[in-house]
Amino acid sequence: MKRVIIAIAMSFFALSYVNAQNNVDINGFARNYTGILYDNGDFSILQNTFNLDFQKTGDKVAFKVNPLLYTYGTDSINFRMRELYLDMYFKSFDLRIGKQQVVWGKADGVFITDIVSPLNLTEFLLPDFDEIRRGVYATKLDYYLGNSTFEVIWIPVLTPTVLPQQGSIWHVQPDFPAPPTFDYSKMNVKASLDNSEIFGKYSLMSSIIDIDLMGAYTWDATPTMHVQKQIEMDSTTHKPVLKGLLITPQHHRLTVAGGSFSSTIKGFVLRGEAAYYWGKYFQTADPAAVDAIVQKDYLNYVVGLDYIKGDWKFSTQFIQKRIFDYQEAIQEDEVQNMMTVLIHGDILRQTLHLELFSYIGLDNFNALIRPKITYDFSDAFSVLLGSNIFTGDEDGMFGKYGDNSMIYTKIKYNF
Amino acid sequence: MAVISLVILTGTIMNVKAQNLTGREIMDKVYNRPSPDDQISDLTMTLINKSGQTRVRKLKQFIKDDGKVEKKIMFFIAPADVKNTSFMNWSYDNSDKSDDQWIYLPAIKRVKRISSDDKSDYFMGSDFTYDDLGDRKLDDDTHKLLREETIEGKDCYVVESVPKDEDYMYSKTVTWVMKDNYLGLKKEFYDEDGELLKILHVDKYQDFSGIWIIEKIVMKNVQNNHETKMELTDIKINTGIPDSKFTQRMMMRGL
Repeated sequence: MKRVIIAIAMSFFALSYVNAQNNVDINGFARNYTGILYDNGDFSILQNTFNLDFQKTGDKVAFKVNPLLYTYGTDSINFRMRELYLDMYFKSFDLRIGKQQVVWGKADGVFITDIVSPLNLTEFLLPDFDEIRRGVYATKLDYYLGNSTFEVIWIPVLTPTVLPQQGSIWHVQPDFPAPPTFDYSKMNVKASLDNSEIFGKYSLMSSIIDIDLMGAYTWDATPTMHVQKQIEMDSTTHKPVLKGLLITPQHHRLTVAGGSFSSTIKGFVLRGEAAYYWGKYFQTADPAAVDAIVQKDYLNYVVGLDYIKGDWKFSTQFIQKRIFDYQEAIQEDEVQNMMTVLIHGDILRQTLHLELFSYIGLDNFNALIRPKITYDFSDAFSVLLGSNIFTGDEDGMFGKYGDNSMIYTKIKYNF
Repeated sequence: MAVISLVILTGTIMNVKAQNLTGREIMDKVYNRPSPDDQISDLTMTLINKSGQTRVRKLKQFIKDDGKVEKKIMFFIAPADVKNTSFMNWSYDNSDKSDDQWIYLPAIKRVKRISSDDKSDYFMGSDFTYDDLGDRKLDDDTHKLLREETIEGKDCYVVESVPKDEDYMYSKTVTWVMKDNYLGLKKEFYDEDGELLKILHVDKYQDFSGIWIIEKIVMKNVQNNHETKMELTDIKINTGIPDSKFTQRMMMRGL
C-alpha cells in the first residue's frame, strides 16, 4: 500500500512539474457519494472520489492521464488509472496508443455495438456512463476522408467485464442444485498475438444521416460458466447422486458485425443500432449439453427517438435481443424486450437540473426508475439528490434487486 | 445553440440617403451586410443575477460561410464541468432545410446528433435567445421607420419590427440603427403583453477592413433584473479556415 501511495504522490509531483513547465491542462472533481437502502437503512454507498484529468494537446501530439483516487467505505485509498494514452496527429490520420476508453454506437445506456471497452458492473448499471467503462490497452488508428472515418483498433490483451463479488448487494448467487466448486485456472486469457482483439468501424457524418458500420473479432468479456456435474454412486441405494458442481469460468471468442445511424426528422432525432453476434455461449439445462452450455447466434438492436423543447429533453428507446436456433432449455428467453425513458430539464438558467431515467423490462414487467435533482450552487459546486428504485417481477433483470432500492446524494466540486 | 455572429448588430458603411429608406430597407442593410468568409474568436459570457452574483462561460468559436452553408464549431473552455464539450452547427441558406447540429460530450466520449428548431430557446442560460443572436430572418418581421434621433452622440434610425407570427415570444422590437454604419446600437424587446422585457446595448464595435464586428454587448432583462454580457476577443477574420475544421474529428480532438 505504501508503494502505491508513494507512486501516486510521485506521479502527482511529476505531473505538477510538467504542468508548470508545459501548461498542461488540469481538471477534475472531488465528490462525496452516499446512498442509503430504503429496505433496512444500511449505507449501500459510502464513496469519496478524487478524479484528475491531465491533458496536453498540441498540433502534432497530445496526451491524457486520468488517475482516479477513491475510498469506498473504508479509510484505505484505492487507485485506478482510467486512461493514459498518447495521441499522434498526421495530415489524414490519427494514432492513439495506450489505455483508453472507446465509445461506439448511438444508443444511450445500452451496449449493442459499444463493446470495445468492457464494463465495471460492481455497482450494476448505476455508475455514470463515463465511470462504468473500463479502459483498454489499445492502439487506435483513425483515417479521415472528407466526412468519413475509418477506424481500426487492436487490443493485445483482453480486459474482462468486472462482475460484483460475493458479499456485494449486487451479487446474486445462482440457485445451484449441488455445492459448487470454482476452478479459475482457465479464466485468464494470455496476452499474445493469437489472443488479440481487432475492431473496425466506418463512420459517415452527413447532413442527411450519420452512419456507423462495425465489425469485431473479439472475446466475450463476460466469462462462460462451464459446469461439470460431479456424480457419485450412493452406497446404500446404488444409484448415481449429484454430489457437486465443478464450475470453470472461461472466456470465448466472439465475432460481431453491426451498425448504427441517427438522423433528424421534423425536429426529432431518430436513432438505431444493431449487432449480430456469432457463437455466443448460453447456459442450458439440456442434460445432453456438454458443460451445460450451448453455442448460438443472437441479434441485439435498439431504436430510439429524441426530442428537445426549450430546456427539456425527451428520449425513449426500444431494445430487443433475439437468440437464433433457440432451444427451450436455454436459460434465457428467446426474445427479450426492454425500453428506456429519459426526461431531462435544465431550468432556472441551467442551475437546476431535473431528470427521470428508467429501464423497463417489458417481458416480465420490472424496472429501474432513477429520478434525480441537481442544483448548481456555483459553476463549480453542485449537490445531487437521487433515488434508484427497483420494482416489478423478481425474476426480471431489475426486479431481482428489489431490496436494493435506495436514496443517494452526490456532492461534487469541479475544478 | 448559436454561435455569436451578431448578425442583427453588424453592418457596413453605406452611402444611402436616409429620406429614401423605408424601415424594411434599413433593416435589409443591417441584415445583409458584407460579412467575413470566416471568423475565429473567443467569447466570454457573464451572467449577472439581481443580487449581483456572476457566472462566467468561456468558449472559442470558428465560423465559415461558403455562401450555401454556414458552418460553426464551438469549444467550451469554462466552467470546468463543461470543458472540452464542443458543438457544431451547419446552417443552410435554403430556409426549408433545418440546421444540422451535433454535440460532443467528453464525459460520454461520443458525438451525438441533436435537433432543436425552436429559435426562441435561451442560449446557455443567458438572456439571449438564438434569434437574438442572429438566427432571425429579415422577413420574419414587418419593419417600420418610427423616427430619427440622436442617442449617445450617434445619429440613428429608430425602426420598429413586428413579428408576422402572432404567437412569437416578442410582440415587437425597436432598434436604433446608426446612420453612418448601419450597425444596431440599441434594441428594445417587448413581451407578448406589450411590456418592455429586455434592452440590448452595444458597448464596443470595431472596423475590420470594412467589416464591422461587435465586440461587446449587454442584454438586460428589465423585468427580472438579470443581465448577460458578451465579449468577443482575439477576433480574426478571413484566415482561410479549412473545411476539415468542421468535422467530428475536430469536435473530439478539441482545441
